[in-house]
Amino acid sequence: MKTLLDSIKGPWFIAVYTWREGLRRKTLVGFLILSLLVIFGATFMTSFINQATVGDVTTDMSLRLIKDICVTAISIFGVLITIFISASVIPTEIENHVIYTVLSKPVRRYQYLLGKFLGAQLIIIMNLCLMGGLFFIALYIKQRILPTLLLWSVFLTYFEFLIVSALTFAIACASSSSVLPTIAGLFIYITGSLTEYLKDVYNRSGQTGEWFDSLVGYIAYILWNVLPNLQRFSLKTKILELQPNDPPTDVLIPQLVLYGLIYAASGYILAYWIFRKREV
Amino acid sequence: MTNTYEPVIQTKNLSKIYDTGFRGEQVHALKNLNLDVFPSEIFGYLGPNGSGKTTTIKLLLELIFPTSGQIKIMDRTDISSPYVKKSIGYLPEGSYYPDFLKGEEMLKFYGQLYGLTGKELYKRIDEVLELVGMTYARKRMVKGYSKGMRQRIGLAQALISDPQILILDEPTTGLDPIARKEIRDILSRLRDEGKTLLISSHELLEVEMISNRVGIIYEGNLLVSGTLDELLTSKDRIIEFSNAANGEVQEIKDKGVEIVDQIKDKVYLKARDDQELFVAIEIGKSVGLQIVSITPKRETLEELFIRVISLAKIGRSKKDEDAA
Repeated sequence: MKTLLDSIKGPWFIAVYTWREGLRRKTLVGFLILSLLVIFGATFMTSFINQATVGDVTTDMSLRLIKDICVTAISIFGVLITIFISASVIPTEIENHVIYTVLSKPVRRYQYLLGKFLGAQLIIIMNLCLMGGLFFIALYIKQRILPTLLLWSVFLTYFEFLIVSALTFAIACASSSSVLPTIAGLFIYITGSLTEYLKDVYNRSGQTGEWFDSLVGYIAYILWNVLPNLQRFSLKTKILELQPNDPPTDVLIPQLVLYGLIYAASGYILAYWIFRKREV
Repeated sequence: MTNTYEPVIQTKNLSKIYDTGFRGEQVHALKNLNLDVFPSEIFGYLGPNGSGKTTTIKLLLELIFPTSGQIKIMDRTDISSPYVKKSIGYLPEGSYYPDFLKGEEMLKFYGQLYGLTGKELYKRIDEVLELVGMTYARKRMVKGYSKGMRQRIGLAQALISDPQILILDEPTTGLDPIARKEIRDILSRLRDEGKTLLISSHELLEVEMISNRVGIIYEGNLLVSGTLDELLTSKDRIIEFSNAANGEVQEIKDKGVEIVDQIKDKVYLKARDDQELFVAIEIGKSVGLQIVSITPKRETLEELFIRVISLAKIGRSKKDEDAA
C-alpha cells in the first residue's frame, strides 16, 4: 500500500507543478479570457437585442443565439486549449532542459508521463469549468431554470477533450517541438468530428473506378476505424432544442465515458511506448 | 588512498553512438569508457567541448541510453531504480530550472520527488538554502536570479535529499571569482562529509584545487585517469642562480638551456632530467653564477591537460594520414 502511494505521489507532484506552469502560459490564459469574453459578450448583446425588440419570438431567438454562440465558444476555445497544452507539456520541458533535473530524480518515466498528462487534464478541466460555469450562470439568469442539460454537455465535452488530449500527448512524446503535435491535434479533432462524413466518403468511393477514388475511400475507411467519433459527445442540438433541465435522452453516457477512457488509456500507453526509450 | 573501496560509480566498456541524419551517419561520442569513481572523493572529469563529458553524465542518469557497455552505481546495474536515483544529486550545465517558481517552491518540488514531506522537507530546504547561502532569496522568483544565484539554487536542489553521490556538470562556469571560491569551499566541505563528487569541468585550476582524482577525456576516449599525485609527477627541476647580468643570461640562452624566468639579478633555469640538471649547473657556474636553490617542479593540471590532449591530437592526425 505504501509503495502504491509512493508511486502515485510523484506523478501527483508533477501534475500540480504542470498545472501551475500552465497557469502562467500567456497563450492559454489568452484563449481562456477570449472564450469568457465571447460567452459574456453573447449574453450581454442578446439581452440588449431582447430589450430592444418586442414579443416572445425574439426572446426565444436570443436564447437560441446565446446557446449557439456559447456552446460553440466552449467547443472551439476548449479544444484549442486542450491541443495547445497537450502538445506542449513535454516538448517545452525538453526544450528548456528542466526535464534533466526531473528525470534524474527517483521518478520513473511512466510516472513522469502520468504526471504531465494529469497536469494537462487539470488545466483542461479548470478551463472547462470556468467556461461552463459562466455559461451556466448566463443561462440561469436568462431562464431562471437550472440548466442541468448543460452540465451533462460539459461533462461529455471533457471526455471528448480527453481523447483529443491523449492522442495529441502521445504524438508530442515523439516530437521535439510543439508545432507538429499541435497540427496533429487539430487534424485529430477535425477528422474525429467528421467521422460520419468519412464513412460516407468510403461508401461512395470506387464508383468512378479510378485508382485515386479508391485510394481516397481506403484512407477514409482507415481513418474512420482508427479515429474516435467525437460527434457522439456533442449535445449541442439537444441544448438548442430542449429545455435546460431536460435529461439528455438518446445518449448512452456510461458507454461514452468508457469509450473516452479507453481512447485516453490507449493514448497514454502509446505515449509511454514512445517515451520509454526516448533520449532527452 | 580511497581506491581500497569499491567504486560507487563504475562504467565498463561504455560506448555511445549517436545516429545523425538520414544517411546513417554516426558520431561515436563515447568509446569503451572504463571509469571508476570511489567513495568520498572528488573526481574531476575533464575534457574539451564535445569530448563526451556530458554524454557520460547523461548515461549515468539514464537521460540517454548506452549503445553498449555497463554502468554500475552503488553496486547496482539497475540504475533507474529509485534506490540508485535517491542516492544521486545532479546539477546540470546551464542552470535550467522552473522559472515560474520561487526558490523555496522549486526546492519543495524537487524534495517531494525524492519522497520528502512535511517537517523533514522544510527542515531540509532550510539546511540547503543555508549551505549555499541563498536563504535571503528564498521567496524570490527563480526567473529573477542572477547566474551565480541560479548556480547556487541548482546546487541546493542537487543536495535536497542529502545524496551520497553528487554529479555536477560545470558547477563554476560563468561565476565571478568570489562565487567560485564559495562553491569550491562548499564542494570541499561535502567531500569532507563523506560524499562522492563527480565534477565535469573546463576550469582546470578549480578542479586541481579540490579534486582527489581526475580523468581526461578526448573524442570519447578516456586518455588518463588517476590521482593528482600520480598524474602530476614530473622530473622537472628549477635551478635558481644569483649574480646574473644580461650578458650572462644571453650566454646561457646561447648554450641551449631553458630559462623560465628572470627577476633582477636572479635567473631560473629548467632541467627536465638529471642530465639536463648537471649541464645547467655546469653552464651556470661557468658564466660565474651562484646557485641559490634547486627545487622540483610539479606539473600543473593545465600543463598535463594540454600535453595529453596535444598527444592525442598528434596520434589522431597520424591515424588519419595512415588511413589516407
